[in-house]
Parts: sequence; C-alpha cells; structure tokens
Amino acid sequence: MFEPFIRHSELALQKTDEPAEETAAVRPAQAKARDSKATDPKATDSNAADSKAIDSDTPEDAAEHSWPRHWLLLLLGAAVVPGAVLFLVGRGLEEPAVQAWRTVCLSIAVQALPFLLLGTALSGAINAFVPTQVFSRLLPRNPALAVPVAGAAGVVLPGCECASVPVANSLIRRGVDPAAAFAFLLSAPAVNPIVLVATAVAFPGSPEMVLARLLASLLTAAAMGWLWLWLGRAEWLKPVPRHTGHHVGRSRWTEFRLGFQHDFLHAGGFLVVGAMAAATFNVVVPRSVLDTFADSPWLSVLFLAGLAILLSVCSEADAFVAASLSGFSPLARLTFMVVGPMVDLKLIALQTGTFGRAFALRFSAATVIVAILASALIGGVLL
Amino acid sequence: MKRPLQALLLLVSGLGLLHATVFTDLYLRYVKEGMRPLLIVSGAVLLLLGTAEAWSLRKPTTPTPNNAQATPDEDHGHDHGHDHGHDHGHDHGHDHSTPPRIAWLLLLPALSLLFYAPPAIGAYSASREAPKAVAVKDQDEFDPLPATSPLPMTLTDFTSRVQQDRAKAIEGRVVRMTGFATPDGSGDGWYLTRSIFSCCAADTQFVKVRAHGTPAPSADTWVTVTGTWHVGGTLGTNSADVALDVRTIEKITRPTNGYTDALPPLAE
Repeated sequence: MFEPFIRHSELALQKTDEPAEETAAVRPAQAKARDSKATDPKATDSNAADSKAIDSDTPEDAAEHSWPRHWLLLLLGAAVVPGAVLFLVGRGLEEPAVQAWRTVCLSIAVQALPFLLLGTALSGAINAFVPTQVFSRLLPRNPALAVPVAGAAGVVLPGCECASVPVANSLIRRGVDPAAAFAFLLSAPAVNPIVLVATAVAFPGSPEMVLARLLASLLTAAAMGWLWLWLGRAEWLKPVPRHTGHHVGRSRWTEFRLGFQHDFLHAGGFLVVGAMAAATFNVVVPRSVLDTFADSPWLSVLFLAGLAILLSVCSEADAFVAASLSGFSPLARLTFMVVGPMVDLKLIALQTGTFGRAFALRFSAATVIVAILASALIGGVLL
Repeated sequence: MKRPLQALLLLVSGLGLLHATVFTDLYLRYVKEGMRPLLIVSGAVLLLLGTAEAWSLRKPTTPTPNNAQATPDEDHGHDHGHDHGHDHGHDHGHDHSTPPRIAWLLLLPALSLLFYAPPAIGAYSASREAPKAVAVKDQDEFDPLPATSPLPMTLTDFTSRVQQDRAKAIEGRVVRMTGFATPDGSGDGWYLTRSIFSCCAADTQFVKVRAHGTPAPSADTWVTVTGTWHVGGTLGTNSADVALDVRTIEKITRPTNGYTDALPPLAE
C-alpha cells in the first residue's frame, strides 16, 4: 500500500546523497530508517518534507517533491480502489451468467487462435518473400478482366480481412487497377484455403456449404469490382502511403517475423473483440429468441447479415460462429459467412483509416447489398 | 504499443495456450480434443515469436535508436518526462506500424487460461435453452435392449427410446445415466443434462431428461442415476415425457469427455 511512498522517499534520499561521497555506513542506516518509516506514513511525510528543504536545486527535484502534497488522497485511492475493484469483479465473476460469458468468449478465442496464427503467418510470409509486383504482372491489362482474376487470386492468398486491407492498398499503389484490388480485398479473406478448411470443419458433412461460400464470395467480389469500374470515382479514395513488401538491404526473415507479429497482434485484438461481442450475444439473447427471427426466411437472412456486421468475427473463425447459430436456415448462415469477411465494424474502421471515410461508407453499404443478393442466388441454387 | 510489451504479450499468450493443453486439460472445457495438437503448436509458435522479439531487442546491434529508448522504461505508467516513448512507431524504419492498443485484449484470454479459467458450459446455459432435437430414427434401428440391469444409456438414446420406439422396449427397464444437474425453477424435479457441441463451447446444445423422486442436487453437480421411465404421455410417441423416476443417485466427478453424450463411466 505504501509502495509509491517508499519509492519516492528512497529517490529523494538517494538524490540528496549523490553529490556527497557515498559510504557503506550510510546505506544500512537509510534502509533502516525507510523500514521504520514505511510503517508510519506521518514519519515518511516529514522525511519527504525534510529532504525537500535540503535539496531543491534542479526543477526535476522540485517536481518530484511537489506531488506528495495530495499524498493522502493518493494513499486513500491506492488503499480503496484496488480492493473495491477486486471485490466487485470477484463477486461479479462468480455470477453464472458472467461465467458463461467468459466460457463462451474464451472458447471462441481458443478455437480461432490456431487458424488466426496460421493465416497471419502465411500473410507475413507472402508479404516478405513474394514481391508485390508479381501480382500486378499476373493480372490482365483490361480492368474488366482483371477484376475476376484478382478475385480468384484471393483464393491462393491466405489471410484474414485485417491483413487484406493493407495488401489491397499496396496493390493500388503499385499500379493495379483499384477495381481489381477491391475484388481481391473482398475475396481474399473469404475464400482462401484456411477459411474454407475452417468452414468444412465447422460444418462437418455439408461440403455444399463450403462450395456455396466460395462461389457466393467470388461472385460478390467480382460484382463489386465491376461496380467500381462502372460507378466508382477516384476522388473517394485517399490512399495513404504505406510500405509493404520486401525492402532491399533488410533481412527477409526479420520482415517476415515483424509482419507476422504485427498482423497477429492486430488481428488477435480484434478477434477478442469479436469473441466478446459474440459471447455477449450468446449469453444475453437465448437461442429461443433467435428462433423467432429464424422462422421467417427473408427476415432471418437480413438479421444474420446485420449480425455479421455487428459481431465482426475474423473470417477464419466466423464459420464456427455460423455453425453455432443452429436455429437458422443454411441460407441465412451462408449470408452470415459471405457478409462477415467483407463488411463488419472493424473492417469499416480499417478501411476508413486506409482509404478514407468517403470510400469506406459507400463501399461497405454497396458490398452488403451485393453480398446478400449473391448469397441468396448461390444459396438458393446449392443449399 | 512498445516492442518489449509486444514480446511480453506474445509470451503470455503462448504460455496460456501451453498451460491449457500440455500441463492441464483446461482446453477440454472450451474446444474438442482434436484441437490439442493445433493449440500446442500455436502456443509454441507464440512463445518462439515472443522470444525472437525479446532477443532482437536485447541485441546491441539493433540499429534503431528507439529500441534503446523503449527498453529501459518498463515502468510505463510513470514516464511523464519522456515523450519519445509514445510515438516510437513512425520513425522505426520497419514496415509495420505498431499494433493498435486493441492488441492488449489478447491478454484477457491468456490470463484467463493461466490463472482463472472459467468452468465448462453448464446449468446456467442449459436452463435457458430448449433441449436439442433428437434425430428421428427408423423403427428397425431400435435393436432389442440388452438384458443388463441397470442398463447404461446415453441421454439421447433414452430420449429416442421413450419418444420413438414403438416396441416400448424401455418400459419397466431400470436404466443408468450420467449427467449434470440443472435445477428447474418452475417446480419440483430437475433435469439430468448433457451438453454437446460440434465445434467449440459457443455452439453448445443440451439434451435433458427430467428427473423425479429425489431432491435436486445443486446446479452443475455431476451425478450418475438409476431409475425407470416416469409415466407420462404415451410411450413410443412424441407425447411421452422424457423423464425418469430416480431410484439411486450418486455424485461423481466431471468426466473428461464432459461435452459428449456418453455412457455412464463404469462403476468402481
């Protein structure tokens, strides 16, 4: 409890003694004085006041000595606040609802973590070992053709949506047509092998769900690319200069490690947010309430599309969340998985930061509509 | 976020995963057993990443001056004097801006796993959910019941025998089942419950058998009960009550396969 105090008085004493020759004899005496004073706040205070009187040459020292003026308040705060917080949190954590919330939250995080790690490791590796120019060289010159090719290229680039936003931005900076880059941005997090494997794991025994997700996501990505060619305006975009890819003279391994680490920490934080939101939803809204939406086919599709935006679960984990929404039709769950990786709260934030708000809002709104239509079309045929 | 803290975050996350998989069976409360190798590899990778980050900070050859700045002031709460620490990302030279503060949230699951792991999904959630629909079976799938008495059964089997088996083989038989207790707020009786998930604890569903004739054990207590079908409705149709008149009840420890609808463990 007196920790800050002891540290402070120690500091003051050391500063006082520094100019003089420090002898071994002084130290134990000081230590003893500290010990006795630690048990008696008043004595410590008087000591602080003393040392203040002795040396106040530098402004730094003056600043050091000025804060104990409200030491009583600090002391009181230090004594009361942690205890109260611990008590309240401790009591709250014992509530069954909070326990259930923590269990659900933790289980989503634990389940998704290996997939997230794999995804960010691969995206880090591609960032470090594959030159970005390769992508622009592989794309057709004609933008209308480049859009579906870029969308399909998303299949081989693993990574979650957090990683794809900076990659798409760097593609634009390297001369790739924005429409193609956006098709890539939308498809990469939704249709890459890791996400598809996760989907297959989450929906055991229904490979048609994996296929429907792949096709609906590709269709949405291509449609959005073409929509940009048709209606998009360059002034909505404000690309911020940002470096990606390998730089001459730097170790590729270090770049890989740093990219991996950054992407993981970044996406991991958002994953926990998603898990917490999903857990809140899971605990607060019992499944029987969801089932009232589940009964109406169109309402349930729209409802789960909105849920995907709000929950903001990483694309590597969203299949598991979709699988847990067992009261809903497969079509509604497909919509959840198509909309989720393309539009959600954290993506809108990321896109706003990277491309500007004018772009992010228009783009996200259009994507939601296109994604719902594409899911309805593909899901209607396949599911 | 300062780089030593990133290293710390990675190390703690890795330790949390390894703690839950290698040293304890905590992970079984949240995910399936098959996830174990993936989780162990993930924990090891995180430890490696954290160690590499810490090592790169230790090396004196690291060119950026900021590292020297960032390393000593671990006491980040008190460094009012030095403002350099705050924006050390922008002149770092490497491509990746420092991760946002949101990365701190990773600490929550890691510390939860290490120090305060929440229990498996249990009575609280079970009391709020309708029981899982039991798959409809063909009549010829109902083989004659073995003569063993009491007969070990899963809750799912019991449910389908009671509601679907038109031969009424379950009638008068003493069965033995294991599950945890879910109190029923509305009246007497309680539910013998098993939780089942297909992926992780977030998608848990429950099978329940109503128990009569004994006072309700406290919530989440694992018990093995024996008893006979509690007459109500017409046996072999959906109108039949999925319920049991309990004869004996015995407390047990939670089985490791707590998220499956398994047969009762063998009696000692």
